[in-house]
Amino acid sequence: MIAYLIRRVLQSVGVLLAVSLVVFLGIYAIGNPAAILLPDDATGAELDAAIASLGLDRPLPLQYFTFLGNAIRGDLGTSFVFNTPSIELIFARLPATLELAITAMLFAVLLGIPLGLWAGLKPGSAFDETVVTGSILGFSMPNFWQGMMLIMIFAVGLGILPANGRGETGTILGIETSFATADGIRHLILPALNLALFKLALMIRLTRTGVREVIGLDYVKFARAKGLSEQRVLMVHVLKNILVPIVTIMGMEFGSLIAFATITETIFAWPGMGKLLIDSINNLDRPVVVAYVMVVTLMFVVINLLVDVAYSALDPRVRLGGNAP
Amino acid sequence: MTSVDANRRQRAAALRSATAVLRALFALCLSAACLVGHAQQLVIGRGSEPQSIDPHFTRAGPNQMTAMHVFDRLILTDENVRPIPGLAVSWEAEDELTWLIRLRAGVRFHDGRPFTADDVVYSLERAPRVPRSPASFAQSLSTLADIEVIDDLTLRLRTTQPSPQFIENIGTIYILSRAASEGAQSSDFNDPSVAVGTGPFRFVSWQPGDRLTLVRNDDYWGEISDFETVVMRFITTDAARVASLRSGSVDIIDLVSPADLPRLRSMSDINVFQVGSLRLVYLALNQREEMIRFTTADGRPLGENPLRDARVRRALSLLIDRRGLTDYILQGAGEPATQIVPAGVFGHAQSIPETRVDRDRAHALLAEAGYPDGFGVTVHGSGNRFVLDSEITQAIGQLLARGGIRVNRVEVRPYAAYTPKAAAGEYPIFLFSYGNTSGESSRGLSGLFHSYDAQRDLGTLNRSRYSNPAFDEVIDAALQTFDDTERERLLWRAAEIAFHEDTALIPLYFESAVWAARTGLEVLPRRDIRTLAMSVRIAR
Repeated sequence: MIAYLIRRVLQSVGVLLAVSLVVFLGIYAIGNPAAILLPDDATGAELDAAIASLGLDRPLPLQYFTFLGNAIRGDLGTSFVFNTPSIELIFARLPATLELAITAMLFAVLLGIPLGLWAGLKPGSAFDETVVTGSILGFSMPNFWQGMMLIMIFAVGLGILPANGRGETGTILGIETSFATADGIRHLILPALNLALFKLALMIRLTRTGVREVIGLDYVKFARAKGLSEQRVLMVHVLKNILVPIVTIMGMEFGSLIAFATITETIFAWPGMGKLLIDSINNLDRPVVVAYVMVVTLMFVVINLLVDVAYSALDPRVRLGGNAP
Repeated sequence: MTSVDANRRQRAAALRSATAVLRALFALCLSAACLVGHAQQLVIGRGSEPQSIDPHFTRAGPNQMTAMHVFDRLILTDENVRPIPGLAVSWEAEDELTWLIRLRAGVRFHDGRPFTADDVVYSLERAPRVPRSPASFAQSLSTLADIEVIDDLTLRLRTTQPSPQFIENIGTIYILSRAASEGAQSSDFNDPSVAVGTGPFRFVSWQPGDRLTLVRNDDYWGEISDFETVVMRFITTDAARVASLRSGSVDIIDLVSPADLPRLRSMSDINVFQVGSLRLVYLALNQREEMIRFTTADGRPLGENPLRDARVRRALSLLIDRRGLTDYILQGAGEPATQIVPAGVFGHAQSIPETRVDRDRAHALLAEAGYPDGFGVTVHGSGNRFVLDSEITQAIGQLLARGGIRVNRVEVRPYAAYTPKAAAGEYPIFLFSYGNTSGESSRGLSGLFHSYDAQRDLGTLNRSRYSNPAFDEVIDAALQTFDDTERERLLWRAAEIAFHEDTALIPLYFESAVWAARTGLEVLPRRDIRTLAMSVRIAR
């Protein structure tokens, strides 16, 4: 187990290095941010001054190695646009994104698993057909369009929920969060729902397929024959056995909810990390983009590790770091 | 409804839809925003966001339109970008190198300290020295030699060289309180005790990506706002901004997209306000000798640059239907342009007529220049730099093709990738824009049309490398002339040479700045596209 973890950490460092180099070079190749940050009427002298003040006049390898040197000390560079350390900018936006991702994940899991379970138990019923058709809609409607429709229906049409923005925040255990106020929760519902719809459809599909697969197996028949309650058969014998793929997907999807809620955050003007990323790409704010990608890569590495650990807890056949293929 | 309270209108909407639970939750809400809601509050949905609260950090537009609420300048500008006295009540050139400035008496900073000449000295010294500034104010102060404080309300400034524009330039510097902000970094300005100005609003807080909150300065020396609090919400997506206005969560939005205009104009509870801005959208015609990315009419390499001939440039201009662009693509949110500044702005030459489509004349000119069958070219444009830039680029391609030019391709790239190549002269015909920030034409004329001269920092926006010694002579003289009448006469002449005689580039239109607000509010649209709470008042 220990050897396995050490190997994983070393792999992660390699991944981070490669990612930083690719992103660094990629953004450098697009163009010079100074030209974007200056107003239209800026003269050549002003452009030169801006390039010098942002340190963009130094050769690229020097810029990259300076970045690496600082990164080892935990400094991922200072934003060209906001003149604030990138890592501070990202972490300042993290709570907003986290609460959105957690709410969306709760919607997806708490609705998706029971719906999928029920649909899987009664295949071909009207309920099953409705849920399956609904999940097709969830999969196939583009995210941004779903978002606009939610706004048009609930904010513009019915006027019962705010159109966008993060509402009042309060403090719970020292963390600034929307969960603390009614206004904050009202603002959270629509974007979280928008973000959840795709994941919800995915959860339904996964659970339903899993249930269909195991429900006819001998051990389930045997459990029923033993006279176990239906509830125990479902919760222990069926659900526990189909959870491995669901947990894998949940882990990956939660990561992508945090890292790539960009579209939802843009449509709902949600001050999270995704919106920061897209704004930074448009401004060629290289320090922020690089730092963001590094943080996200690290997050995925950690999530994957946790998922692997969770496997071994759910399925005793899985051995971490053993000789099994 | 006379209240400016978005929350209350939302509540009225909730009544209709029988959501008793949510209403109960809302009624329980005792947070600060709900209490403020009962006073006069203005919520602005902005499409752009400041980079810092430090007004000296960058002179980019979104930053300035934020700073203007909290900080004053020596000289302010009205909605037509004409200078009006700000913290300076009068200024005069004692000779070509010396300016005497008298300051406004009785002005106090938000923390109660009096405003004095020392704060001006401090601000003029600080502005060019902000570390890591991406768009510094240094250029505006480059000719400042020294400052002499005569008394608390009088200053004498000397310049290194005669510069008629000096006072307008230093007039753009935001005046900070030395006592509140000396030694502060840009990021320290997020603290309201540092971000202390003399402006019409006091700074309260900024949550980046979300909102910025201001409260009224009741001791302001100028006109007092109708609104006790102002909240700016940053909503960068056009459709989301419009949805916010329609749902009542904001009172006014800026940067309304032409696609939403017909709809918003037809709505009874929303009013649209628009004005021609000072942003000129133009088609640049690359006149560098080495630019030979042209083909003949049947697609073979041409081997020379036809755009070096003024007759060819004039012919292309005659093919562009400017009214078509503004009426159909921009839905009326643009005004056809003839030159660098629109009518009513200092330096606008009445003598330049509007160019109307005349294909016969264009063909005659092309034939005269040796291209009776036209030639082939690729048209380039940016995406997402200004309103509908990629659509306009496509339309230009179609208009040229209709006029008999072989349009090989139309290429649109994101601005970040586009502008370096445009500056390097890699595009033959390309769409660009120029946003005038000073209320007169000299800066634009010298930047866009003066022969390229990096040393003297002239013609640095002249990406086409247009060059005419006669033009250079006139604009050089204008930049040295103190007498306004004489200077404007020279600027007229310069515009005539560049636009009428040489067709150095093809002016297309001035983008309109468009705001939409709920009924009950009046917006004074500004030509500099600044969205200011000071421009909004309650209709009476």
